[in-house]
Amino acid sequence: MTTPSIPSSPDTPAIEALDLVRTYRTHLGVIRRRSIEVEAVRGISFEVRPGELFGLLGPNGAGKTTTIKMLVTLLLPTAGSARVMGYDVVRDTTEVRKRIGYVFGGEGGLYDRISGLDNLRFFAELYGVEPAAQRPRIDAMLDLVGLAGREREKVEGYSRGMRQRLHIARGLLHDPPVLFLDEPSLGLDPVGARELRRTIADLVAAGKTVLMTTHYMFEADALCERIAVINGGKIVAAGTGSDLKAVIANRTIVEIETYGVTAEAVDRLRADPDVIAVNTEDQDQSQILLIQSERGTEITQRLIQHLGDTRIGKISAREPTLEDAYVHLIASTGGDDGNGAARAAAVA
Amino acid sequence: MTFSPTFRSDAHQVARVWAFTMRIFMISDFFILTAVVQPIIFASIAFFLFQVGGDAAGEQTLLFAALGTGMMGVWSTTLFGGGGAIAWQRWEHTLELLVAAPRRYDLTLLGQTLATTTFGFYSMIATLAWGVLLFGMPLDANWPLVLPLSLLAAVIGLGIMGMLLATTFVLYRHANALSNLLEYPVWIATGMLVPLALLPGWLGPISWVLLPTWAVEAIRGAAIGAEPPWLAIAMCLILAVVYYVIARRVLVYVIDKARRDATLNLA
Repeated sequence: MTTPSIPSSPDTPAIEALDLVRTYRTHLGVIRRRSIEVEAVRGISFEVRPGELFGLLGPNGAGKTTTIKMLVTLLLPTAGSARVMGYDVVRDTTEVRKRIGYVFGGEGGLYDRISGLDNLRFFAELYGVEPAAQRPRIDAMLDLVGLAGREREKVEGYSRGMRQRLHIARGLLHDPPVLFLDEPSLGLDPVGARELRRTIADLVAAGKTVLMTTHYMFEADALCERIAVINGGKIVAAGTGSDLKAVIANRTIVEIETYGVTAEAVDRLRADPDVIAVNTEDQDQSQILLIQSERGTEITQRLIQHLGDTRIGKISAREPTLEDAYVHLIASTGGDDGNGAARAAAVA
Repeated sequence: MTFSPTFRSDAHQVARVWAFTMRIFMISDFFILTAVVQPIIFASIAFFLFQVGGDAAGEQTLLFAALGTGMMGVWSTTLFGGGGAIAWQRWEHTLELLVAAPRRYDLTLLGQTLATTTFGFYSMIATLAWGVLLFGMPLDANWPLVLPLSLLAAVIGLGIMGMLLATTFVLYRHANALSNLLEYPVWIATGMLVPLALLPGWLGPISWVLLPTWAVEAIRGAAIGAEPPWLAIAMCLILAVVYYVIARRVLVYVIDKARRDATLNLA
């Protein structure tokens, strides 16, 4: 039996990750099987202060969920270390688990055929809530997430937003000081997502430490005190929303709506000496070109010339947003590789 | 007699998980259908076995066959429900939450597999009921006070065996095929379908280490035995302890491996 490593004190970071690395081994082929090693997380370090809401922001496959799963003791790091409230996530799993709540987005993780109340009763037992304290605690959590009055309905009849709030209630049953939210707004409609953000803000106001992963920039900007942008298994930038925006603060964004723009036309834009970056967003019928240039440089006429015969809709110039900073950071660090495939290396 | 707070807390956890899982089964269409249809088939098997046995075997042969076929239902439920418990949790995406909970996961799993076996005993009761109603089977136990003990030992033993199956099956992607493969041989090797005395001698040692053999013996002994089945009850409980020790060790290995290989949530 191992002794818990470091008891938490007021100075101890609520969460600390030091050079966390996680690789996966997977196989390709049926007859000639090849072993492939995928580096999902490549040396991530950060600290989260007690009572802080910290965001891990990144595209799909960036390594957010892998990082969070190492912190909640569900995955063993390949290298590096991590602590939650001073306890090592590999050696002191029971101590860590007593102090954390873990909530993930999506459909699963609940017993659909029974009521929300029965789900919470079951998990209250597993989270070590004393029998006499279970009902008052459940009632308090139902109030907190706005499900009071609906708790006796079967979960299968709940909306996505209600399910997600039930997940949060579940994660808070044992009153953990640290809460991990892995893409909590995944699949929620705008109203449900807004209610969820309000609940998360209330939790932080109540003193909880929250580490949240998301790939929605506005969500991270609206909620998180500090944000780490993660891409390709590495943190590529970290700071407040303002810090991140400052990366491209001296730039202007020209937005051009086009119809049927060609790759050659985009290449001509990129070749312009005053253009710093060009990103494209496909919409239903059109493509939005986001062109970054130094602030004070007037290049709109030249951009139109570069587009040649391309049909153009609206044109506007604006200040950079966090989303622009995020796109810039992701694009300048290798882009969104989807599932880490670019980091895979054949080893056998 | 006093128990330590840890023991009381662990027992409370197992009991709560047991009650919760029973509740889930009660509203599961799949399990209800199995519980209604299967006993009718098994009662019919018992009746036809009795007919083959003829008058020489006596009326108690029908009860012998009915108890054996009832246990076939219990075994099927243990094998598929208990053995598939972890795979089922993966499929429902609850496995990670159960493993990441502060309370011991082995006790959670034990509560679930005990509930599965308890639910399986409905099959036994229903088989007997159908035997009485449809075929006029006599229902007299020679040792009525011992019978509840036999049933309790069988539930505990088979529940723990379900836990052992769950921990080993989860190591294999195609555990379903393994479940199908194990259903019928165990019916035969443990004396559920035919008396052990009719089987080849080399099967004896295999039968003795299989807990269902003693569970069947304990229940049959209490119902129609000449002596109370104390040995069978004791063997049930001893094997249950052995199975539990093995299951816990395998479970620690399985969870550790899943954390290493990132396979906890792979359905």
